Amino acid sequence: MLVQRAIEEAGIPTIIIAALPPVVRQNGTPRCTAPIVPMGANVGEPNNPDMQRNILRDTLTQLVEIDTPGKIVSLPYEYTARV
Amino acid sequence: MDLTVVKGLQSEVYVPITPPPVWAPITKPLNEMVIALVTAAGVHLKSDKRFNLSGDTTYRIIPNDTDSHDLMVSHGGYDNSDVNKDINCMFPIDRLKELAKEGFIKGIALSHIGFMGGGGDVKAFVEKTGPEIANILKEEGVDGVVMTGG
Repeated sequence: MLVQRAIEEAGIPTIIIAALPPVVRQNGTPRCTAPIVPMGANVGEPNNPDMQRNILRDTLTQLVEIDTPGKIVSLPYEYTARV
Repeated sequence: MDLTVVKGLQSEVYVPITPPPVWAPITKPLNEMVIALVTAAGVHLKSDKRFNLSGDTTYRIIPNDTDSHDLMVSHGGYDNSDVNKDINCMFPIDRLKELAKEGFIKGIALSHIGFMGGGGDVKAFVEKTGPEIANILKEEGVDGVVMTGG
């Protein structure tokens, strides 16, 4: 989020795909999407290109649609890592 | 009713403070935007120097024409087992190429950037690493950035 804020301050719009949205909120993200994923698989299940593509596509859509700094949009994709 | 019994008391418990908002407005539609990936997940080329797992504020350039099988992760702050199976679950370079091919975005930046986030030397990230990464993206004419981390 520190780096995200630096890029945003330089004038480039950013969005972060986060597994831990409360942490991202606390650190002052401008834009964020939050699928239901564990840390380490923020863009979805490994070797599941459909899920990954949908998370990335929805995130890009939110990059241009979010109109309020700090907004976090939940995404309806779920992956649970088996550990 | 006045609920204040003693005036001027302050909490001794530290409470987190959210920094003021930052905001760069969108100026064009997605299909006219060049997009770059920036990840805090410790992604870099296998041929590149690994991050120091006990703390590292440096970053690595990842050329867009890199084969995703030539990428790896060094990051001490999360379970690497998913990203070791498929780098795209933290660094969706193959998915971004597919979206560019179908015209969902205009194009992809020549370079992406990986660093090892999750704490460490906050001052260095704010004052040096962050602005340096932003500068690279500016020079490459990037219109928007998708990040992973947190």
